[in-house]
Amino acid sequence: MSWSDPTKLKRVKDFGISGIAFCVAREPGSGKLFFGNSDFKVYEVDALAEKPAPAAFEAEGHQSYVTGVVRSQKQLVSGSYDGNLIWWDSESKKPTRTIKGHERWIRRVTVSPDGNIVASVADDMVGKLWDAQSGETMHTLKDHKEETPEHFPSMLYAVAFSSDGKWLATADKVGHIVVWEVASGKKAAELESPGMYTWDPRARRHSIGGIRSVAFSHDSKLLAAGGIGQIGNIDHLGGPSRVEIFDWQKGESLHTIEDNELKGLVEQIEFDPAGNWLLAAGGDHGGFVSFYSVETGKLIKQDKAPMHVHQLAMNDDSTGFFAVGHGKIAHYEFKSDSPPGPAEPPLPEDAA
Amino acid sequence: MGQPGSIFCGSADHGLSRRGFLGAASAATAGTFAADMTRLDGLKNPLLAGEVKRQQKSVILLWLAGGASQFETWDPKPGRPTGGPYAKIKTNVNDVHISELLPKLAQRMNHTAIIRSLNTKIGDHGGGASLMETGRVSDPGLIYPDIGAIAARELGRRDSQVPDYVSMYTSTEGRRKGTSGFLGARYAPMFLSDKQIPDNMHRLDAISNDDHKDRAALRDLLSKRFTQSRLSEKINSHTTAYSRVHGLMSSEKLFDIEQEPESVRAKYGPRQFAQQCLIARRLVEAGTPFVKVARAWWDSHGQNFETHRELCADLDHAMSTLLDDLEERGLLENTLVVTLGEFGRTPGINASLGRDHFANAWSCSLSGCGVRGGSVYGKTDPDGNTVADGEVGAAQVFATMLEALGIDHEKEYMIGARPIPLADFGAKPIKEVLA
Repeated sequence: MSWSDPTKLKRVKDFGISGIAFCVAREPGSGKLFFGNSDFKVYEVDALAEKPAPAAFEAEGHQSYVTGVVRSQKQLVSGSYDGNLIWWDSESKKPTRTIKGHERWIRRVTVSPDGNIVASVADDMVGKLWDAQSGETMHTLKDHKEETPEHFPSMLYAVAFSSDGKWLATADKVGHIVVWEVASGKKAAELESPGMYTWDPRARRHSIGGIRSVAFSHDSKLLAAGGIGQIGNIDHLGGPSRVEIFDWQKGESLHTIEDNELKGLVEQIEFDPAGNWLLAAGGDHGGFVSFYSVETGKLIKQDKAPMHVHQLAMNDDSTGFFAVGHGKIAHYEFKSDSPPGPAEPPLPEDAA
Repeated sequence: MGQPGSIFCGSADHGLSRRGFLGAASAATAGTFAADMTRLDGLKNPLLAGEVKRQQKSVILLWLAGGASQFETWDPKPGRPTGGPYAKIKTNVNDVHISELLPKLAQRMNHTAIIRSLNTKIGDHGGGASLMETGRVSDPGLIYPDIGAIAARELGRRDSQVPDYVSMYTSTEGRRKGTSGFLGARYAPMFLSDKQIPDNMHRLDAISNDDHKDRAALRDLLSKRFTQSRLSEKINSHTTAYSRVHGLMSSEKLFDIEQEPESVRAKYGPRQFAQQCLIARRLVEAGTPFVKVARAWWDSHGQNFETHRELCADLDHAMSTLLDDLEERGLLENTLVVTLGEFGRTPGINASLGRDHFANAWSCSLSGCGVRGGSVYGKTDPDGNTVADGEVGAAQVFATMLEALGIDHEKEYMIGARPIPLADFGAKPIKEVLA
């Protein structure tokens, strides 16, 4: 048996791929990954093989960058900037259903923990919940504004289910977060993280940033949002990687974590099932994977990833992950043979 | 360096020189261009008619500062490794496709020519801007005028009461004022960097409007009395200068879009770039021959696709509204609308999902006056790495703009004994995009 220990973080392997991988899903109990790519294709690869060889789904598929891929039983569902959601038979690698899911670019696709509901967000500023088996629309979620305060098109980047499947969070370019009740499709809460959005009114007169990732803690009480902090020169991603942790039901911001060492966008967040740590991954020209303490917001351990990380897939026991990104896939582990001990030796019982 | 008055127009066919025409015209004119009845008489003379026609022409340069991506605008390559995520869309011209980020302009492509084969080689902001603005590589011994100054010189009226060359650049990054070079300060731009309405144009609060008018009238009366028995170029020039300043003060309202009906302002909308395009339309309508509206900052080293999603929406709306407005007012056939910048952007997409500077194969557009709408000149290879057909440089684009305006691109200014052609030596206009 092994336990997660972020202080043991190490990169086990990385290998090159053609193009940019924006999204990844993993087959449980294996290193088999499915990833969506900038060549408009979905790939399968065994990342644990000695010489991983990505194989494309060659059937007619998407017409733009593939930005979301999730597993639902033996199906895959992918989403793309072409606005389409495609259901694939993961064994035959053939599409079984194609739906025009959104009027604009799909930014991310996720799936409920039980695999029954697929969620997608897109630049039509709408979130949608789909029955993973029938492909029927269950709810259309509208709350995010189509324009930024400066009257430019906004973007809806991030979506995540809670571990119990009851809640869904969506987050946009200007830092607006909405928590939805999945069963009813009704808005349950809203939060703001305006520090994720930089509008430069003077030097360059456009914007950058946005919330690129959201995640619930495993007890569903906390919600973390990831992106980038304020940027001076918005020509580049030269701003601090940024995570804000909320007690979303109280509407309280608990921690704002900004890292100026390894800068860029936080593209994905994962919470420790035991609630101790939070993993944030992303990058600028380079990449990073960083572990933070959920309790204090302090950095535990980080690594300069070999590429800008766009998404990652955790392994079965949350002791490792596969990160995909710009031209590479990397396999990390952070496991220990013994359970993590307390931070300091416990006091003798009679000392109290 | 010579004063503008010492610059000789080398055109051989001028039995009636431009200077002579302008001198005669200015002596006879007063008031605004539109109300100038002597110009209607002048149209009976073919040479004068040609001159007037040329003078009615204007340029609005939409300067895409920082360098817009040709892939996300005029030369999309969807499905190629370099192409990015955006699709190409049909336009209202058969077989011409542009980026899906420009849907409104796609429906106005009948007004627009695209040049897809620019190889300008200079990939730094300062050098690229200077090259594209002047149409030639800098010469340490001579400061060349930019296209705005040349248009002001060639299309402006000496007695004009509106500015000849207005340049708007309200962002700070990459800000360039523009230069009239050896043409001198007379053709330098009125430069708006902080506000949409120029400073120092309004009368002092201490002087009432009636006082202001009375003073001008008194000055006019005394001036006429003084000049009655004295025919002198210097006195004329002095009088013209007063008239011009007075006119410029009156032109303050040209910069005030509140003067426009609500319905027109609503079409342009709340964003600054579009509002500056509305000012540009007001200026050319009043007779300003050259207006540059700089839209910063397209330098998308990081997040190229997000940046272009935002800025292309701005360009698409502002330029299409401008084209419609010009057309509805009958101004488009005499107004050349240009999109141009320092360079394009790399085919390669970097790890920040950005594109870097790239001058070897990029695009610009010309719309309206003198342009064969719907035409596409030149071609890049399937991945946009090189020009595959019809390679042109900055000089050819410069010559093409001049020809579209009816200005002889081979016309020479004499700087001392040195002849300087308007477009660089040997540059030929791209006939395929000219009407």
